[in-house]
Amino acid sequence: MAFEELLNDPVIQKYLHELVGPEGMPVAAAPPEGEVTDEELAEELDLELNDVRRALFILYENDLASYRRVRDEDSGWLTYLWTFHYDNIPENLEEEMERLLTAIEEREEYERTHEFYLCEVCSIRFEFGEAMDQGFQCPECASPLESMDNDALVEAMEERGAALREELNVDIHADAD
Amino acid sequence: MSVSEAEVDLSADEQRGLELIKETGGIHQSDFWKELDISSRKGSRIAEKLVDAELINREQTVYNGHNTYYLEPTAKDLEFRLLMAGDLLSPFIGEEEVDPQSDSFSQWLMNLAYEE
Repeated sequence: MAFEELLNDPVIQKYLHELVGPEGMPVAAAPPEGEVTDEELAEELDLELNDVRRALFILYENDLASYRRVRDEDSGWLTYLWTFHYDNIPENLEEEMERLLTAIEEREEYERTHEFYLCEVCSIRFEFGEAMDQGFQCPECASPLESMDNDALVEAMEERGAALREELNVDIHADAD
Repeated sequence: MSVSEAEVDLSADEQRGLELIKETGGIHQSDFWKELDISSRKGSRIAEKLVDAELINREQTVYNGHNTYYLEPTAKDLEFRLLMAGDLLSPFIGEEEVDPQSDSFSQWLMNLAYEE
């Protein structure tokens, strides 16, 4: 098996699982060295050919696998020879960290600039304007809406945002450009 | 394909250079050789070797008014755990769009605030 070091990382395992789902995981978790056909993988892993192909295609879409087609001279059939490119995983995850940071920053701004009310029975949150429109009563169960403090949420976003900026060198890049 | 660190034979200065780039998280080449107390030529050769071994990335940039390179660690040294909130992975993985108001992201943030 190739790329063992990467595959030992639990975050990378989760990442692959998220992409290919539980049925595709046997394919994603055991990338062979060199080229392999979908039929070989299906046989080796004792899986349905369709599940193997689906997983391979998802990996392909995420730049984690590529194929070349070869025509069998006798039968005329096309064979797909697949190669795994898990060396692209770190860069994909770097991009995901950048996307996550963007979302955290935008959401933090929203959380800081709005006031919220909560129905403690239904656990539904309302913006101040919505709560006022409802007369500070939950539209579902008519319980009174209570003012809600989101400091813990904002603080968690602040911390993770700072950690991501530091890890991705976001501020230094801004100076360098 | 990337080469694992153990497979590359680095000199003491190259090793020092690599550590400096990792520690700073990124440094301009013009500061790099000064910091290592070596000549600019040697600094440039070390940077090239590390780029060839895929241990760092190098990008051309303008810094203090002159052309130089920005040297930074490759993505494989990043702390991928920052994508996790408790046992939840960033909900944007596998999604085309990033929606900061989505329910799945709210759930991720609740995990971050109350489970970590």
